[in-house]
Amino acid sequence: MGVIKGVLREELENSLQMKKDYERELAKLPKGSLVKKVIKGHEYYYLLLRDAGKVKFIYKGKVSEKEIKKYKEAKRLRAKYRKLLSQVKKQIKFLRSSLRGKESV
Amino acid sequence: MEKSQYKLCIEVLRKLYNAGVLKHIILIGSWCMPFYKTYFAGIRYMPSIKTRDMDLLISRPLKTSKKIDIPELLKSIGFIVGFKGSQGYIKLEHPDLVIEFLVPEKGRGTDKPYQLPQLGLNAQALRFLNFLITNIIHVKIEDISVALPHPANFALHKLIIFQRRKNPEKVAKDRDAAIRILNALIDKGEIGVIRDVYNSIPQKWQIKVMQGLEKAEADKILAVMK
Repeated sequence: MGVIKGVLREELENSLQMKKDYERELAKLPKGSLVKKVIKGHEYYYLLLRDAGKVKFIYKGKVSEKEIKKYKEAKRLRAKYRKLLSQVKKQIKFLRSSLRGKESV
Repeated sequence: MEKSQYKLCIEVLRKLYNAGVLKHIILIGSWCMPFYKTYFAGIRYMPSIKTRDMDLLISRPLKTSKKIDIPELLKSIGFIVGFKGSQGYIKLEHPDLVIEFLVPEKGRGTDKPYQLPQLGLNAQALRFLNFLITNIIHVKIEDISVALPHPANFALHKLIIFQRRKNPEKVAKDRDAAIRILNALIDKGEIGVIRDVYNSIPQKWQIKVMQGLEKAEADKILAVMK
């Protein structure tokens, strides 16, 4: 039983650290996503983001392919990290409840 | 979680294989236990409990000049860089798997991370790991050939290190893993292999192994070793 409890405790420590690390990585990603608008046959980009609960469009004009790729990758990673962060939070909840018993943890 | 964890482990191995770096890596630690099932096919063998920690041992010096950024390679499947301890050992984290990198300690040893710039990593140098490199087996996991320490080396290594552990739960985990594997080797008729590996190690280590078996009260194994 001690081995299992030890493993669970180790996993809880790992998950708590991992939660912080995913939050840190999410904060590092560029905020918002690029939206393309075609006006009179010309392509312009806006950065769409939420600021203090409001949706904002920030004019970016013409952007480089590199910039477009950067925001696309950030969008993909943000979705992935959010999903994984939610998984980590569920693990923490599960591990805490598994470890909660008569003995102090 | 178990199924997704296994799938993720295979995905990691495949990515390392495709990048041409897996041949420089030996899978060690508790993740060897399920993969020994192939080696012990037809024998009663139950892998012991394992954590999410997947330990990858890298040969030192690394015999490649090819630059492969492993954190970048695994980023696409959700791994992020985390740090362990005050020395800043790199680990790659995912809710289902935490990958840590190790190298054998050489000389007097240091707790400073061993830099692996070709792989975009650093690794922790630990004692006795050379013993795991000296005798390796290759198992096919799906279609990938993965290097693991020979079970005899793995078990004797665990018998040595469990006595150095401070955490009682880790002591029990390592001891249990060693006994399970040695019993499976005996059942497979590989007593000679255990003895050969035992005879190949320094006398000080042999004493540690015997003390480990006595502490574990593994009478069946002790009888074979004597």
